[in-house]
Amino acid sequence: MKRYETIFITHPELSEEDHAELEEKLRSTVATLKGDIVKLEDWGTKKLGYAIHKNSRGRYFLLDYLAAADLVRELERNLRLNDRVLKFQTVKVDERSSAEAAKTPKEGTPPEKIVRIGEPPVTPEGPRTEEPEKAKTEGGEIK
Amino acid sequence: MKPPVRKKRSFQRRKVCVFCADSGMKIDYKDIKTLGHFVTERGKILPRRISGNCARHQRKVTIAIKRARNIALMPFTILSS
Repeated sequence: MKRYETIFITHPELSEEDHAELEEKLRSTVATLKGDIVKLEDWGTKKLGYAIHKNSRGRYFLLDYLAAADLVRELERNLRLNDRVLKFQTVKVDERSSAEAAKTPKEGTPPEKIVRIGEPPVTPEGPRTEEPEKAKTEGGEIK
Repeated sequence: MKPPVRKKRSFQRRKVCVFCADSGMKIDYKDIKTLGHFVTERGKILPRRISGNCARHQRKVTIAIKRARNIALMPFTILSS
């Protein structure tokens, strides 16, 4: 098993029941194929970088999990078939297999909150806050 | 005949890779704030000669920006109004 994270964007005007249903579906898929969900984050509705199916906003979710390749394939198939999901992307985070290695946060990253789907989003922004002072001395273009 | 006098270009301080200078910084495609420093206002990826990144980190930044674009966290282009 490897550690993956899948970001998926749902339609911004979906009801909470629809989200609960989707979450249930994903969780059962992960359970039947013996994966392990590390966390499921709700980033809330954000403005998209570009319109997807004429939607300029979308609700982001991050699913962080341990899985074998067939589970990833199945999850992606589910997301693809679900027309409430605008877009998704899976990235392999870590080759390490053990669950406990995945649960100990790597140094440098702040501990992240587990946000369940259905609850109001807490922090929609990314974890890191500001670029350090050094960047300012680099010349105008960077800043 | 004298050789043509080469015009002196204004000397720019050599840039140091931000990520090498601060090892605590991670390149993550979800971290739009940091990646935002490495694109132009039109959304294009800044070249190394401008951003000052080292080759290794520039490569990672490039991949991260492309991932962020794919999942609509960042735009591919920003049209000037």
